[in-house]
Formats: sequence, structure tokens, C-alpha cells
Amino acid sequence: MTDDQQILESLKDPSTRELAFRHLVTKYKERLYWHIRKIVMNHDDADDVLQNTLIKIWNGIETFRAESSIFTWSYRIATNESITFLNQRKRRMMPGLNDVNEYLLENLESDTYFDGDEWQLLLQKAIATLPDKQRLVFNMKYFDEIKYEEMSEILETSVGALKASYHHAVKKVEEYVKTHEPGIGS
Amino acid sequence: MYEEENIEPEFLKQPGKNPFRTPDNYFDSIEDRVMGTIEFESKKNTASKSNKIFRLLKPVLGLAASFALVYILAYYPIKYFSPNNLVKSEITDSASQMDEYSLNLSLIDENSLISAIFNDETDTLSEIKPDELLAYLSTEMTDLEIYTEIQN
Repeated sequence: MTDDQQILESLKDPSTRELAFRHLVTKYKERLYWHIRKIVMNHDDADDVLQNTLIKIWNGIETFRAESSIFTWSYRIATNESITFLNQRKRRMMPGLNDVNEYLLENLESDTYFDGDEWQLLLQKAIATLPDKQRLVFNMKYFDEIKYEEMSEILETSVGALKASYHHAVKKVEEYVKTHEPGIGS
Repeated sequence: MYEEENIEPEFLKQPGKNPFRTPDNYFDSIEDRVMGTIEFESKKNTASKSNKIFRLLKPVLGLAASFALVYILAYYPIKYFSPNNLVKSEITDSASQMDEYSLNLSLIDENSLISAIFNDETDTLSEIKPDELLAYLSTEMTDLEIYTEIQN
């Protein structure tokens, strides 16, 4: 059972629902996890958000109207869950911080599952300073190589607006890199 | 305007490399973990639904219990200690007495009753004093009560 349409039909049937959901999780778990991980940056947080995302998918499957693909829909849920998680975590645990970006920097530095070199750490720090939307677009374009059209469906934003977001994100990242490590980014 | 080829700096032209990793075998157990969580959530929701019903009914049940308590505390003392109730008890006693008399009467046939009244009539009459006769007349007793009195 690999075809999305077949999985969706099985999900609608209560007798095959659980098995179909397992197939869905197996098929998309890694892509969803990495998407979430790049937003929240820390493995433990990413694990929490992935669980929440999968539970939301399970609970929402009956109302899913198949206007978009099941993967696009799941990706959208993962994105929303990640942003919601960051805002909640920032309010609960880090009331002294000015914004989500500082929480992300802390998260990045405390993450034991980071294997990047100096340049990659600098790049992630630069990404962590971006506003939510620009960070999402930058990650999806640069790391996941998702096309603007698909990104437009996931983020429910026009292609033009996404291109603008990416443009601003790149400029900010470039500036951050040049400021913090002039020798690395050039 | 925002075509990435024109604006991307050199270092961003290469595909992005993921610097993160996961604990060993992390992805192997995700299906089981999420199904376990879903099952747990489902049980929790079922339990919270019954709790919700109880929570909704709680004020009503509390009110009903209060009324029941007030009823017990107020009604029974009034019932057992009010003067009306004492009169009622007396009425009940005399009614049961009447029932007893009726039962005795049903066991006696007509001839026995007549002979019982008129046997030793002379002796009985001679034993009656005028005061007793006056007392009898003034009590307004029924025939049945008179008969019972004689028998005793």
C-alpha cells in the first residue's frame, strides 16, 4: 500500500484505518520529521511536534476533503504545529526572551544531535534569526528543494509572496554570515 | 524580480546539507509510539466524556441532594411530632379497635347474640345501679360497644 489514494481510501474505512495510518506514517515520517526539525532545531522538540502532528493527522483524517494531496496536508499540519509549539514554548519556558529567535538559538546550542561544522552552525544561527515565514520558506527552498508551487499549497501563500520571502531571507542570512564570519561566506 | 539565480550568494548555490542527526534507530519505533499515544488519548477522551456528563449533572445532583436532606430534616419531625399527627394516631387506634370488634361480631351468630344479651337478664339488671345506668345512657355508646362492655 504505497499509493496515497489507496491509503486515503483505507483510512476512511474504520476496519483498515489503523493499518493504513501505519503505512502513511512509514511513508512520510522522515520527511515530516526533518521539516519539523529544521523549524524547531532541537531533536526533543522535533520529536514532540512530530507526535502532535501525527495525532492531528489521525484525528483529522475523517474531515480531510482531499482538496490537496495527503502529503501537502500533512506538511501543512506539521508546519502549523511547529510554529504553535515554538510560540507556546517561548511563552511557557523563556518569558525573558524577546522573541522565538532567541529560543531557537538556545535550542540549537543545547542540541546534542548536531553534526554540522562551523559553517553549518553559523548558517543555522543565521536562519534562526529570520522571522517565521522567511525561515520556513528558506528551509523548504534551500534544504528540501520544494518547488514554489508546492510550497504555495502548503503555506497557503502566493508564489510571488514566497519568492519575496525567500529573497529577504537570503539577504538577511548573507548579511548575518558576513557580519559574524567574514571569511566563511565569501 | 526575486529570481534566486540573480540574488543568491555563492555559498547558497550548492544544495543545503542537513547538519542534524537523530538518535540511533529513532525512526524505527515511531509507528508504535504514535499508535500507543492515540490509543491512550482515545481512552482518556472516553473517560473524560463520562466525567464531563458527571460534571454537567453535578450541580443538579447537588441541588437534588440538598432538597432531599431538607425534606428528611424537616418533614419527618413535623410528621411525627405535630398535634395533627397525634390526633391521627388516635383515630388510627380507634379504627383498629373497631376492626377488632367487627371481627368478633362476625364470629357470633344471631341466636348466640340474643341469648348472650338476655341470659341472666334479671341478674344483670338487678346488679345495675341507677348511677351506672345514667352513666351508660350519657356515654352515647353504640350497641356494639355496649355488647363488648357487657362481655367484658
